[in-house]
Amino acid sequence: MTDQKAHAPVETRALFEPRALLVTGKGGVGKSTAAAALALASARTGRRTCLVEVEGRQIMRTLFNTEPWDFAEREVRPDLFGMSIDPEASLAEYLAMFYGARRLSKLVVNSTAVDFATTAAPGIKDVLLIGKVKEMERRRDPDGRFVYDLIVVDAPPTGRIVNFLRAPEATTELVTVGPIREQARSLTDLLLDPARLRIQLVTLLEEMPIAETIDSARALEELGVQLNPIITNRVLRPQFDPGAAKALDGMTPEAVQPLLERVGLDGAGTAETLLGLADRHLHRLALQDEMRTTLDEQLTMPALELPYLPSRTFGEDELRRLADVIQEAQDDLK
Amino acid sequence: MTGALDTARSGDLAAVIEQRHVIVCTGAGGVGKTTTAAALGIEAARRGRRTIVLTIDPARRLAQSLGLSQLDTSPCAVRDVEGLDAMMLDMKRTFDEIVERHASSRARAQRILDNRFYQQMSASLAGTQEYMAMEKLYDLHETGRYDCIVIDTPPTRNALDFLDAPKRLTDFLEGRFLKMFLSPGLAAGRFATRAVGLGTGMFMRAASRITGASVLEDLADFFQSFEGMYEGFKDRAQSVYGLLQHSASAFVVVSSPEPPALREAGYFLKRLSRDGMPTAGVVVNRVTTTPEGHAGTLDREAVAAATADLDGGDDVERAVAGMLRLALDARRIAARQRAAINAALRSTPVGVLVEVPLADGDVHDIEGLRWVAGHLSGTRMSGA
Repeated sequence: MTDQKAHAPVETRALFEPRALLVTGKGGVGKSTAAAALALASARTGRRTCLVEVEGRQIMRTLFNTEPWDFAEREVRPDLFGMSIDPEASLAEYLAMFYGARRLSKLVVNSTAVDFATTAAPGIKDVLLIGKVKEMERRRDPDGRFVYDLIVVDAPPTGRIVNFLRAPEATTELVTVGPIREQARSLTDLLLDPARLRIQLVTLLEEMPIAETIDSARALEELGVQLNPIITNRVLRPQFDPGAAKALDGMTPEAVQPLLERVGLDGAGTAETLLGLADRHLHRLALQDEMRTTLDEQLTMPALELPYLPSRTFGEDELRRLADVIQEAQDDLK
Repeated sequence: MTGALDTARSGDLAAVIEQRHVIVCTGAGGVGKTTTAAALGIEAARRGRRTIVLTIDPARRLAQSLGLSQLDTSPCAVRDVEGLDAMMLDMKRTFDEIVERHASSRARAQRILDNRFYQQMSASLAGTQEYMAMEKLYDLHETGRYDCIVIDTPPTRNALDFLDAPKRLTDFLEGRFLKMFLSPGLAAGRFATRAVGLGTGMFMRAASRITGASVLEDLADFFQSFEGMYEGFKDRAQSVYGLLQHSASAFVVVSSPEPPALREAGYFLKRLSRDGMPTAGVVVNRVTTTPEGHAGTLDREAVAAATADLDGGDDVERAVAGMLRLALDARRIAARQRAAINAALRSTPVGVLVEVPLADGDVHDIEGLRWVAGHLSGTRMSGA
């Protein structure tokens, strides 16, 4: 059956409600692309948006065709800013803000020191990252308005996201007094406030990503963080309407051949190959449906589907098309 | 030039599977490393080699089909595959075992295991998983029980961590910061004394304002408990590094056709080459292949005209229109992936490039793994 199962309508207004989104998903699901599309869609609605990379992989500069991203926030498209969080620069800024870095920086802020700190006390790096996100989220311009309406963070994958989010709390277990503890506590406040921050899960309609999404969603809910509607990425759209799909059931090359001859595409073996492609396509759609059902049953959360784009290249045009889909889903609900 | 890559595409990993003692599967997360490692292991065992596959974080169904349960952190024979053992790496338990084995006394070992820094570090230290994988590799090699050891590596965001982690750990263990913590004055909380040294004292006072003095004392206690073990860590890290560099070892870089994964693969290949590591080749999983024969070379305009004709017709005609579109899509996707693979791999020499086709579903049982193994060893051609 190729009927698309009717899906719970996405309250995509809800997608852009918090002030910060941490986008996560299993490695390989297209989390970064989804984050970029979300940020682009958000900027188009007039929200001043900042897209943040945290692992230095420089995926965003390729998607937006710019110079490498660094700690400086730069406008890459109207109302869309981009930056890449660098732990050393973060640490330097943090120390400058709280301790007057000048005296400390020479001693402390170099890569050896950061390596040492992050090796000895894992989670410090994550605390620095979350701290930077919080600084950006709270930042106001001279009129008192928030500088950013939405911060979209291309966060660590689901395998590490729970540890990442637990870092401030874990730090308070190790550091029982003093300014770092206070900072860590304020970060926990940010993470647990759904008006300020939510987790954006991205998945594929495939076994392993779905299983990991379900596990992660549960673990995240246990932590007390709020989840955004889920984004399912690279969804295959049916190539056949129901009537055509039915006709394919048991269709033989002999039935196909005359039509291929009519349109002049009847090279040897074409009919068999085409039927093979149709078969795999329908099979894949059926698997997708199974995965949709599993996701619905296990998580009962709305999901927004982004289509697979079988284009010759994947660049900004495709990114814009995905942003269109996100915006259309939002418009539908007006 | 892609000429070299096309030559690589005509090769396979049969010789590696047949001959190498250690095979390391590395690559970005989500590219099918564990599947590739398991498939390599199955093929090695099939060829009569006593083989073990060390997995890191296998998917539930794959783990089940290999006979691995949550509790199996030591080698277990894989049912249905003669000559193959499998195990999962338990990072924390491996670290605990190392502490217990190498601490100078039972009391010392317990002091470390009880230390709250150790507890956090052993569970989540960046690079710990990689480091423990190396330690486990060393163990398995030392047993002499296996002809072939296949290692799956952790799904870190940067596959280079696998090579960096042990060195980072040993750098850390030898570094000047650590030496500060080992000075006796520090353990006594005396940051300002001469015994600690002027530069150290300043750093420590500054650091203590940030973290609180008790944290530094606990940290000092932690590092001091490890005294005597540092040399051992360093020695073993060097031994494993040597084992990996040996010509009897081979690195297999695994990727998917997606640009981010391919970029990681490219960087990793460069790094392996720079370090003189023996790289056997690249495996790209889930590749869309150009449809066979004429269906793969349909003229686009002819298809456009054909579908315009057929789209308004009966069920069968519309079905044929859809199929023609599928054929064009497949060709376009195959071309896009081929271009991405060529772009990512063109600048570093690649001995062998195996492109494993996209299967209909996930590969999660022995039969599926044998199918993958067929492609890796060249006994099954593309399209089969």
